[in-house]
Amino acid sequence: MVAFVARRFLYVVPVLLAVSLLTFLIASLLPGDLAYVILGDQATPENLAALRRDMGLDQPLWWRYLSWLGHVLQGDLGRSFRTGQTVLQAVAERIPVSIELMLLAEFIGLLIGVPLAIACAARAGGAFDRFMTGSAFGMLSMPSFLTAILLIYLFAVELHWLPATGYVPFTEEPLGNLRFFVLPALTLALAEWPGIMRVLRSDMIATLQEDYIALAKAKGLKPSRILFVHALKPSSLTLVTVTGINIGRLLGGTLIVESIFALPGIGRLLVGAIYTRDLVILQGVVLLVACGFVIVNFIVDMLYAVLDPRIRHGHA
Amino acid sequence: MTNAAAAARRLAPIFLVTAFALGPLAQTAHAQKQGGSITVGLEIDVPGFDPLKVGVYDAAALTPAAAIFDTLTYLDDKGVAQPKLAMSWTHSDDFKTWTFKLRPGVKFHDGTPFNAEAYKANFDRQKDPGNKCRCAFYIAAVNNVQAPDELTVVYNLNDPSVNYPTLVSYPNQNAAVHSPTAWKTKGDDYNRNPVGTGPYILKSWTAGDRMILEKNPDYWDKDKIYLDRIILKPLPDAQSRFASLQSGEADLIWDDEYDPDNIQKAQKDPKLTVHSYTGSGAQVYAFNTKTPPFDDVRVRQALVMAIDRKKMSQAITNGLAKPATNPYGDGSWVKCKDDGALPLDVAKAKALIKDYGKPVEFKMVVTATPRGRIIGQVLQQFWKNVGASMELDQVDQATIPPRAFMRQFQLIPWRIVDLADPDPQMFANFHTGSPVALANYSNPELDKLLEHARVTAEVDKRIEDYCAATRVINKEAIWFWTFQNTYFAVSSANIKGLPKMYSGMIDVSRVWKE
Repeated sequence: MVAFVARRFLYVVPVLLAVSLLTFLIASLLPGDLAYVILGDQATPENLAALRRDMGLDQPLWWRYLSWLGHVLQGDLGRSFRTGQTVLQAVAERIPVSIELMLLAEFIGLLIGVPLAIACAARAGGAFDRFMTGSAFGMLSMPSFLTAILLIYLFAVELHWLPATGYVPFTEEPLGNLRFFVLPALTLALAEWPGIMRVLRSDMIATLQEDYIALAKAKGLKPSRILFVHALKPSSLTLVTVTGINIGRLLGGTLIVESIFALPGIGRLLVGAIYTRDLVILQGVVLLVACGFVIVNFIVDMLYAVLDPRIRHGHA
Repeated sequence: MTNAAAAARRLAPIFLVTAFALGPLAQTAHAQKQGGSITVGLEIDVPGFDPLKVGVYDAAALTPAAAIFDTLTYLDDKGVAQPKLAMSWTHSDDFKTWTFKLRPGVKFHDGTPFNAEAYKANFDRQKDPGNKCRCAFYIAAVNNVQAPDELTVVYNLNDPSVNYPTLVSYPNQNAAVHSPTAWKTKGDDYNRNPVGTGPYILKSWTAGDRMILEKNPDYWDKDKIYLDRIILKPLPDAQSRFASLQSGEADLIWDDEYDPDNIQKAQKDPKLTVHSYTGSGAQVYAFNTKTPPFDDVRVRQALVMAIDRKKMSQAITNGLAKPATNPYGDGSWVKCKDDGALPLDVAKAKALIKDYGKPVEFKMVVTATPRGRIIGQVLQQFWKNVGASMELDQVDQATIPPRAFMRQFQLIPWRIVDLADPDPQMFANFHTGSPVALANYSNPELDKLLEHARVTAEVDKRIEDYCAATRVINKEAIWFWTFQNTYFAVSSANIKGLPKMYSGMIDVSRVWKE
């Protein structure tokens, strides 16, 4: 097991290096010059040259990358030139909101997707299965900005059940906090459950063909026991992978959803950084988010090993 | 009372010509209700308030700044400067020295006394070349500020300014007065912990979320302050911002003409009030007259004559944007009987292009945003109709000023912001040799008019000068104007007392709830 973890961990290092290089390149190669942005209407040629010198923008790209990486490795991701905040401060303030949003979205997605998948797999090809598979496809093709606006109009403007926008910290008002999260999390979850359902459904159908299920049936076990106890765990391997990869998709979704619902999370921070050309924040946040994604998927790999003993012994 | 202010008062009626009816004035109505709170939805996160850090306050920052800070003067409903932190002012005969007498006994929220020394410290901090503040650009015309005694501030200007008190009338990065103690003790943290003398005190500010302001119990003018609390929230998405107003989570929201559907919906809704103000500036474009084909006046005139502003307004803002034929919006006191605007005349434009004889092909700089693109595409169509071919040169917003200053363009968008006096911008934009005289155009007649207008106190004569200047600019077609600057806010109908949105500032510090 230790060897497995160590081996996996070794893969993570080059991935993170590649991520840091890409992040840096994207931020540096964006059209528009940071010196222009900072100086604005005072961007005379002399001021531009002086600022570029101060910020090291006149150095070659590889040198700037190495010096940035050097700072990053010492935990210094830089400071926003707009607000004077460090990247770590800004992220630390915003990340709890995004994590709560993603966890709730994933939870709601599973809550809808898993029971539906089991119900569909139990009668694969039946009317319910065909109907749900079709609906899932429809939901999958709904863009989240549309879902969000529809939900707001229904639940906030027409019914007045839930707030349209806003946020209170969990520590201040736990219930109020959840109220603010229902619609954004639901928006994300509505795009999440179809994937969950379809993956689990097909794995489950395959599992239900296995001999040991036939044996269980022959023993006269109740169908519900067979589905939930005997078939679910071995069918959920792909689901775990999908859940891990979904974190990446969800992070992308937060950019849109946090802007629409005015949640002060990492997605809003990124969108703001892009609009205001706050490249320091932009590359710092993208790097941290990418690291988070890599770590989550590292944990997912570990989970496989727990779910399927063959993997941890290297036989798969 | 100064000559200029007195002259402006005589002309008061012309200031009244503004866009739409606004709420009743705080001074005239007696139904103001004390207490309660207001939630305001702004477009973007406010980056902070320290001029050294943020450089320039954007429209979103002005709303909290108007509550936290005071300025020397404010503009009344007629656009005339009135006393705020300054109680009175006088000027030298050449209008280059302005002396302000300060209000005694005013304290910043942290207890620091407000006096001439504190005022001068604000100015010096912005002006100090060592601080490299972007904000210094906007006070370049001020040579220095002196504090001869506790309650006297003297502005020494490089150039004459007949209307200077109106230029320190709203809390932008330069005019808002900060507590020197606060910025010295808080250092880097001052940006997000601003301290002023204003009617509201910043209580809390969650990054990317709510900013809570509470009534300042020791405010010098506290009888005119009604709400206990102001909550400001950034709501970046236009649809959900409007939905928040409809569902009652917000009492007032910022909006603009690019959201015409919601504004028009709100105009029909009795539960909502649309506030709008047409300012004293415009959206403008400059030709580089030193590069072909714009070195020929016929080409420039043809392109201007081809623009159908009404159609353009319909296409991009559903008709909300108000056409402009000169740089002085409805909110300006400059009104021209004859601004010499070229007529919309497609046939004449075609003839001029034909007369020019060579193919008219050029690039126009636009911002790489949906708005920039649609404006570019509409103009492209107009010009195609008259036989000119324009290509869009899409650039980042931030690269427009440097490209303008270095004259790296053929045609570039620009903006005349709302200043209470036209002089700073007209002189900078059109006087020979100014860095912002983007058209690279020189005309002794135009120079003479601008020089005369800035040292003349009589408003009628200044209006004549500025209208004559506009006739030259329109005839030579070195710049053209498309739309006036119009600002929008939408509120629940029970929000009263919102003042005119000068410079696009939504100032909720003196509103009340019915």
